[in-house]
Amino acid sequence: MRNPFRKKEETVKETPQQKDYKYRLLIVKFCFLFAFFAASARLVQIQLFESGKYQSIAKGQYEARVPLVAARGNIYDRNGNVLVANSEFVSFAADPKIAGDDAKLIAKEFSAVTGKPEKEYTSKLQSAKRFVWMERHLRPDAAELIPLKKMGGVVKMNEAMRLYHYDEIAGQVIGATNIENVGVSGIEQQFNDVLRGRDGYVIMQKDGMGRKRPSVDYPREEAVNGHSIQLTIDLQYQSIADEELKKGIARTQADAGLVVMIRPQTGEILAMSNYPQVNLNRVQNADALKNRIVSDMYEPGSVFKIVTASAALENEVVTLDKKIYAENGKYTIEYPGKKFRLINDAHPLRDVTFLESMAFSSNIVMAKVSDLIGQEKLYKKARDFGFGMATGIELPAEINGQLKKTSEWSLASLNSIAYGYEVGVTPLQIVSAYSAIANDGMLMKPYIVQRENDENGQEIYTGQPQMIRRVIPKHVNEQVKQMLEAVVEFGTGVSVKTPGVRIAGKTGTSRKHVNGKYEEGSYNASFIGFFPVEKPEIVILVMIEKPKAGGYYGATASAPIFKAIADRIINNNGLLAKTMIAEQSVQNVDQQKDATVSIPDVANNGIDNAIALLNRSGLAAKVIGAGEEVVRQYPPAGTKVERGSLVQLMMNETALNIAAGSLQVPDVRGMSVRRAVNKLAAEQYGVTIVGSGIVANQFPNPGTSMKQGAKVTIICEPKAVVTAQLY
Amino acid sequence: MASEKNHIDRITLFVVLILMVASTVVVYSASSTWAMQKMQSSSGLVNKHITKILAGLVVMFFAINMDYKRYKPLTKWVLMVSILLLFATRVLGGEVKGAARWLSVGGFSLQPSEIAKFALLFHLAYLLSNKREKLADFKTGFMPLMIWIGLVVLLVMVQPNFSTGSMIFALGMILVFVGGARIKHVMISLAGLVPALLVYMVSAPYRMKRILSYVGFGSDETVTSTANYQLLQGIIGFGNGGIFGVGMGQSKQRDLFLPESYGDFIFSIVGEEYGLIGTIIFIGLFLTILLRGLKIAKYAPDDFGKYLAIGITSTIVLYAIANALVTLGLMPTTGVPMPFVSYGGTAIIFSSFAVGVLLNISSQTDLHPRERQFIEQPTLKVEPAVGKIY
Repeated sequence: MRNPFRKKEETVKETPQQKDYKYRLLIVKFCFLFAFFAASARLVQIQLFESGKYQSIAKGQYEARVPLVAARGNIYDRNGNVLVANSEFVSFAADPKIAGDDAKLIAKEFSAVTGKPEKEYTSKLQSAKRFVWMERHLRPDAAELIPLKKMGGVVKMNEAMRLYHYDEIAGQVIGATNIENVGVSGIEQQFNDVLRGRDGYVIMQKDGMGRKRPSVDYPREEAVNGHSIQLTIDLQYQSIADEELKKGIARTQADAGLVVMIRPQTGEILAMSNYPQVNLNRVQNADALKNRIVSDMYEPGSVFKIVTASAALENEVVTLDKKIYAENGKYTIEYPGKKFRLINDAHPLRDVTFLESMAFSSNIVMAKVSDLIGQEKLYKKARDFGFGMATGIELPAEINGQLKKTSEWSLASLNSIAYGYEVGVTPLQIVSAYSAIANDGMLMKPYIVQRENDENGQEIYTGQPQMIRRVIPKHVNEQVKQMLEAVVEFGTGVSVKTPGVRIAGKTGTSRKHVNGKYEEGSYNASFIGFFPVEKPEIVILVMIEKPKAGGYYGATASAPIFKAIADRIINNNGLLAKTMIAEQSVQNVDQQKDATVSIPDVANNGIDNAIALLNRSGLAAKVIGAGEEVVRQYPPAGTKVERGSLVQLMMNETALNIAAGSLQVPDVRGMSVRRAVNKLAAEQYGVTIVGSGIVANQFPNPGTSMKQGAKVTIICEPKAVVTAQLY
Repeated sequence: MASEKNHIDRITLFVVLILMVASTVVVYSASSTWAMQKMQSSSGLVNKHITKILAGLVVMFFAINMDYKRYKPLTKWVLMVSILLLFATRVLGGEVKGAARWLSVGGFSLQPSEIAKFALLFHLAYLLSNKREKLADFKTGFMPLMIWIGLVVLLVMVQPNFSTGSMIFALGMILVFVGGARIKHVMISLAGLVPALLVYMVSAPYRMKRILSYVGFGSDETVTSTANYQLLQGIIGFGNGGIFGVGMGQSKQRDLFLPESYGDFIFSIVGEEYGLIGTIIFIGLFLTILLRGLKIAKYAPDDFGKYLAIGITSTIVLYAIANALVTLGLMPTTGVPMPFVSYGGTAIIFSSFAVGVLLNISSQTDLHPRERQFIEQPTLKVEPAVGKIY
């Protein structure tokens, strides 16, 4: 930067003043030059040496890797009914560092839409993190209400969430997904990898407003949608199982219960129902997600006697009509070393045939017979039936159950196992064993996945019936079937007897283990059966845990549920009904000829009975009001109506209320709390409010007759917010 | 005056014209997104900018052809009028971001501080040329100058426009220093500024924050002022450009990451789009103005011309370098535009006028015969490169 003219200047004579000026100007010049140098040095530092650092910061600002979320595969029932699909929800996330400045405004807006306290949002926005979820899975219409443009640092994203079309139907089988859309139970968990597909991504450019546009130059990977799964579950049967189980639990005031239905020839699971039920769209209790049919074991009690009977008949230690003394209900066995064991029978018997001992469920006879069979043979038979080993069904968390080796048996084990104690079985193992008997002694592997289709709908897996082994020779199997049919014909299961259909089955009552001890008055009551005996189409297990009302026996607690389910199936149009109706029609030729039927008189019948009577005549029932007994019916008895018509049944409690001058509860669902309260108050009902927001449900249901002044409970949910799942 | 045109310093003119052309390109790129959003036209802002540049060229042409000596008798009166305007702004001016800086005259907004700056500059040049001998004396020489400077600076600062005030103060001190004031007096004046600075810092929280964050107190978490955000985004812009830049019109920072990127932070957009090469060329252009301006001063026919040339050169270079240092984070964030480049309304017209005067001075020097040698100066090598980029 030297001045090229400087030397020439110096030749001119300068005054001191000029010299002073020159130096001063030089100082100013050098100050400027220094500043230029500083700026250039800084530019070199930023643009040359540190440019990589800033480029990556910039890239982070301009580019966003936006996931292309693969659609999770649907789950269908065997007939193609959609059980689970996806729906779009909108989630909001924020960068507290940017959004923190407007925290109050943002919190206010969110709070106005969701009804949650503002504080919840402001505390999120005070986080030190750069990413927080503000709200997840809002319904799109609710998300529209959030004025995103006013909010710096808040982003909106669409998220798919599982939509379970039938809430709690088959809840434990289908299973739930967590908030990240990952299956955590049931089929959702078992097939998570195939259902979820593979997420893709696209790199987007974004500007300071957070707007994004896809960039063609950037890499992009398309999402591959998940495979769909078709179950062997029949939605119709499943619904029947769920409904009847729920009703049965209410009647017996039991803690829990379960129903399993299986097709014996193939091993297809038709229904699996657990109670307490779980609403998959709103999982409240993670424990309820457990599918106890495969994950819990219990001592089966008398239903296990088929093992003893099969072993005894196959080894020809008894015959069906061999008389055995049943000790009049009390039998004390003495084991070596002066150890005694008292066995009781619920039905005291004296001399009975082996067949009758099954029909009346004699523990004493089974214990005596087991001594004739011997440890090894009984153990082998139990093993052959599949006990002590997981069935391998496509469901998570299946357990093996417990069948001790004979070397671990105590002196009493042989006798205990003979009538179903000292073994731990899963309900599925029991169903599987009975379906072997229903299937001429051939054990099938139970399965629940009928088909897996890839993202293009191409079938890539088909569930096939799989034979495991022949458990008993066919002729012996026929004898076991005879014994089970006797149970229903004249034994402990006589309550399920149904005209026109041959049913075989077995009751079972076992004491419940609670903390390693048998708890007084705590029982598992089961009934398992199949029909029609000549060509079994379905095996149904009903198990009730700890019934408290109406008796704890399998015959009293579970058999009525079995009966209700069987009645509905027999009268329904399902796969079974076709054969049933064909057989019935042979019996009732006149009824089949004309399409009209005469309505039977069902007044003064119990509700179950009344429905069964109507169903048998090919009529449907509509129950109006509450109560156990039918007091009136419409159309009246004797009226000729078309087959399949609806008969309205007025229940006893309804009638009382009408007499007392009660009104019908208005429908307030979907109203705001204030409107609902006003409306109910106008009709002179009291109101109990649960929650806040919009009325989602009400109890009693709209249209129910109720006395004036009675209380209506309304269950409210925050406006337009889907309650987040537990996870 | 055709003969005089041959004498003007063509290099300075050329550099200024390059800056003007470059500014339209950069302002367009920097403002298009913003203009699209606010004015529904991506060229909305740049059109205004071009209008100002054209007006500036007309004014420059006028100034080139106007003998600078004819301003001599006017300087005092113009300065007094501009001081009155500053008063008027304080009373009538519109508030822009908490500061009354603009005066609207017939729909045309004026920045009186800009007028006052140049008026002060002219008058100081006049005073220095007339009373240089007396300047060493505090009472008769130094004080009268300082009173003018102090008055203008005070009025600008109370607008409040601290940055322009201090820039004017710095310019005044440069002239006074070069003019021969005693070092002692200059030091006293600078020391007098320290309490004023402190009062200013404390009087507005945003200033305090800016300065604190500049000095390094208060982390990013506590001082999340817009200024800091702007500064960080500005530096990211430079860094993102790297050596070669992301290319013309490809800036991402301008898309609203960097607020007002077309204004005080335009240098960052230059850095992002044209890289280190672009920024060094811009630095080189202003360096050329510095060197040429001082050369013109050296050969100015009289003292008035000499001091005027120094004042004009200093103004433009001081603003340019201050702007660069601010955007690079080497100086506390203040609103200083980059002359000829930033979108900034009337400032361009005044700067053009000033350059016109400088060129008129150059036309009256003996530079002409030596001109060929200047062309061979090393600093000028940058110019062909400029041609390539645009």
